[in-house]
Amino acid sequence: MKQRSNRFWLWLLGALMVLSGAIAFWVFTRTAAGTTAVVTLDGREVCRVDLATLTEGYTVSYTGEGGITNVVEFAPGGVRVREADCPDQVCVRQGWIKTGVAPIVCLPNRLTIKITDGQPGQLDGLVR
Amino acid sequence: MKRALFGGLALALLLTGCGTQSSEAQIFAMNTFMTLTVHSPHAREDVKAATALINQLDRELSVTRPESEVWALNHADGNPVEVSSDTAALLKAALELGEKTSGALDVTLYPVVKAWGFTTDEHQVPGEETLSALLEGVDYSAVSLIEGEDGAAVTLPQGIELDFGALAKGYAGEVCADLLRDSGVTSALLRLGGNIQTIGARPDGKPWMIGVQDPSRPDDPDAVLGSLAIVDQAAVTSGGYQRYFEQGGVRYWHIIDPSTGSPARSGLSSVTIVADSGTLCDGLSTALFVMGREKALDFWRQEGGFEAVLVEDSGEVWITAGLSEAFTPAGESTYTLHIAEA
Repeated sequence: MKQRSNRFWLWLLGALMVLSGAIAFWVFTRTAAGTTAVVTLDGREVCRVDLATLTEGYTVSYTGEGGITNVVEFAPGGVRVREADCPDQVCVRQGWIKTGVAPIVCLPNRLTIKITDGQPGQLDGLVR
Repeated sequence: MKRALFGGLALALLLTGCGTQSSEAQIFAMNTFMTLTVHSPHAREDVKAATALINQLDRELSVTRPESEVWALNHADGNPVEVSSDTAALLKAALELGEKTSGALDVTLYPVVKAWGFTTDEHQVPGEETLSALLEGVDYSAVSLIEGEDGAAVTLPQGIELDFGALAKGYAGEVCADLLRDSGVTSALLRLGGNIQTIGARPDGKPWMIGVQDPSRPDDPDAVLGSLAIVDQAAVTSGGYQRYFEQGGVRYWHIIDPSTGSPARSGLSSVTIVADSGTLCDGLSTALFVMGREKALDFWRQEGGFEAVLVEDSGEVWITAGLSEAFTPAGESTYTLHIAEA
């Protein structure tokens, strides 16, 4: 009886380990492959796109309270501001971003685009 | 065995449940976008306190907000104005840096910067007469700062205007770092626009790895010249590649040489400074950009107290000796590296 009980717990432990291993594998492979673009407007998150699952690009326009519009292009593996009617065009000039090292920022429209859980890059920040 | 298993599980839960948290704030302040990341047992409160401090400094130091102390100074018609301890401390640092750099950093350059339209994005090339007239009012040594026991007062002669644009973010990073260290934080990364201020090392104990933008590919944040391993220090870059306009095929950038009133053309495309003080980093990155490579390296040899990465238009990169270990060039770099010896 005692031996059977021990064997039951061992099986249960084994099954738990396999299950947690499978979950860990799923979580890690999912986030490593995923590159999520997060768009915020005036500090509020307005959109979240998993770029890794895209097969073709598309654009979305974001207009802030000041009436400025950024046309954001989401594509497999990257995101950019394709065009904007802000005065400085800094966001457009920044081009495509593919990692989380530096976000795209349009100060006049208070828009940010940041990539999260991309390649775990070795860089924590960027001076520019 | 069962007991050991559950004991282990309970311990694992405890270990992950308490201890250090991470908290991050993203804010628009000082005309830029900032990300403050703190790792500590009270990270949320720490981030809140740092955010409040930055917003307060923005209100005090902004040159464009009518409620700021700088605005009050610039509209005082030659009368003395009482200022907060922050404004006094930053002005003191600015005047000292002006003296040290023989005016390569001048906080009274604002009327000239306005004439180029860099403050409004309505860019134009001012005429020579306009510039020489404006340059007569540019003189940091004409600013009077009197510090007493119960506060400080500043007097600007008529026609002189102050702007802390070249220093305010560095100062904000520095005082935030002091605030966080005082509350016991040993690991934090403050990204203030393109400025970096670190507190301690990363949570895993390794140095923070900070990329230096490749000035020849300014549009690509993944294009770095190399990376700097830093602990408990600040790093700031100045370059002509981020804020500029073009007219008649000529590029005009926002870093103005106080001796000519025009964009500084010293042969450098970017200057990165690493030092304990963020204010020093911010001010010197501008001043050394104005000086050019030879004068900048002479200045480093004479003054010390900071390290630098100088990138020349020609593709030569100069790294001061103190950074030779901390700097790792990017793999596919087309630059030629030199170590500058003291």
